[in-house]
Amino acid sequence: MGRGKLAVIGVGEVPTGWYPDRGDWEMINTTCMEAIRDAGLDKNDIEGVITVNPMAQPKLQSEIGFGKIPEELGLKGCKDICIVNAGGATTTNCLRMAEHWVNNGIAKTVLINHVTRHSGITLADAINFFATAGIDLQWEYPFGMSYNGVMALQATRYMHDTGTTPEELAAVCVANRKWAMLDPNARFRKPLTIEQVLESRMVSTPLHAFECNVLSDGAAAMVVTSGDLAPQISKTPVYKLGEDVLYLGATATQRKERRRMGEGPGAAHKALAEAGLTLEDMDILEIYFAYPHAFLMLLEALGVCKPGEAGGLVMEGHTSPGGKLPCSTIGELSRGHTGSGVSTAYYVECARQLMGKAGERQVPNARYLLTNAAGGSGMNMIWSVWGRDIP
Amino acid sequence: MSEQKSSIPAPVPQPWTEEFWKAAREHKFLVQHCDDCNTNIFYPRKFCPECWGANLSWIEASGKGKLYTFTTTLYGVEPRFAPDLPYVLALVDLDEGIRVMTRIVNCDQDKLKCDMPVEIVWQDFDEFSLYYFQPQS
Repeated sequence: MGRGKLAVIGVGEVPTGWYPDRGDWEMINTTCMEAIRDAGLDKNDIEGVITVNPMAQPKLQSEIGFGKIPEELGLKGCKDICIVNAGGATTTNCLRMAEHWVNNGIAKTVLINHVTRHSGITLADAINFFATAGIDLQWEYPFGMSYNGVMALQATRYMHDTGTTPEELAAVCVANRKWAMLDPNARFRKPLTIEQVLESRMVSTPLHAFECNVLSDGAAAMVVTSGDLAPQISKTPVYKLGEDVLYLGATATQRKERRRMGEGPGAAHKALAEAGLTLEDMDILEIYFAYPHAFLMLLEALGVCKPGEAGGLVMEGHTSPGGKLPCSTIGELSRGHTGSGVSTAYYVECARQLMGKAGERQVPNARYLLTNAAGGSGMNMIWSVWGRDIP
Repeated sequence: MSEQKSSIPAPVPQPWTEEFWKAAREHKFLVQHCDDCNTNIFYPRKFCPECWGANLSWIEASGKGKLYTFTTTLYGVEPRFAPDLPYVLALVDLDEGIRVMTRIVNCDQDKLKCDMPVEIVWQDFDEFSLYYFQPQS
């Protein structure tokens, strides 16, 4: 593990959407083939496959976990497979495992992939899985906790502490939408205004419908290799330069907000230190947040601005396309949330931006960026720094 | 509060939390206490999460605390909770230094404020009782 030891050299993705008639395996085939072609490799060059566990789809989980992907795709050089499960933090762990594989003679190149098709989940599975996933059966569930609810609790306190306004929260959704309008992979791409956000149905105060993420279908894949091999294979390798993480706790009552906001971003600064870079060196903050207030909290905790000022930054358009602080170019709330695969989509977007393949939403000359991932209802906070070169 | 029919799910206890839920039936909120390191613990554990001590006892909470945060949920919950909508989900900091997830009842939802004083009020169901809170009178 270490600075520049892992590189992404190819990506593939199907647009985030709602595909009740599309097969899981069709999406797996499409994304994996695209990523391998994008890397400029032959299918038989792939020596390992590491997959994000589709937690809510037990049948697919066993198919993949029992090794079907290399066989389906005819990856004749594949030496081993693995399925990884850490909720929304899974992709980070796929990358960590791949980093070990490619630097220790287990596999020279590894395919990492994800598929989640919420539209294909049976009602029974949906109730079994989503009703209580990450929700404690004694101390949370009986009171009627939901993911929207627990994030709304955080939003209420944040607004109380900082004086952040509903308009400022809504502006985060609008900024997201501006990026999504430039992204063919985003699910929601029509223009959106602050007024429309505030007029949408109140779900759980202070969060309106447009401020709650929407579960969606998606699939993505990446090809990775060692930092040493990457420049021999690819003209546009994207290197992992630093990473740090903090475990925060499984249940909302146990995660003190102070810890989340104080020590979590400490991990960001440790990741930056490992990379040998500072926040000012970052061309993009590819921040995952799922709900708008969390984006503002993270900006402030990172030290981008003082508590209570992040909303203003967003209102002034600095985080939007063309702004001085491009954030979450993936479009976040307008992208659609693919469950445990959401972070695969994030890492793919990071790689695209640094490869210069982000189309209309390309941040000019993007060289370094900071991104984050989290599992469960916020059990941990992972930060990593990526770059198109090793500084 | 009176007994009411509901599809609210019963808490699923661990062997070491049964005492808590038994006391709840008698409208007592027990806080687990570690006699080794003198810490109040929530939620109750098999061993103290601070020092791994096994000398754990119970103290009865005063039932008073402060509203850390809250949300009025209006939409988008499981069908079993839908008859209760809108309801106020909250985190309350008890005077004993622990934080619990709960609901706020008997209140004007528009007048709730972070840090306002709240007090416990019990809700009885057929097989169990839950601790809710209301603004202090």
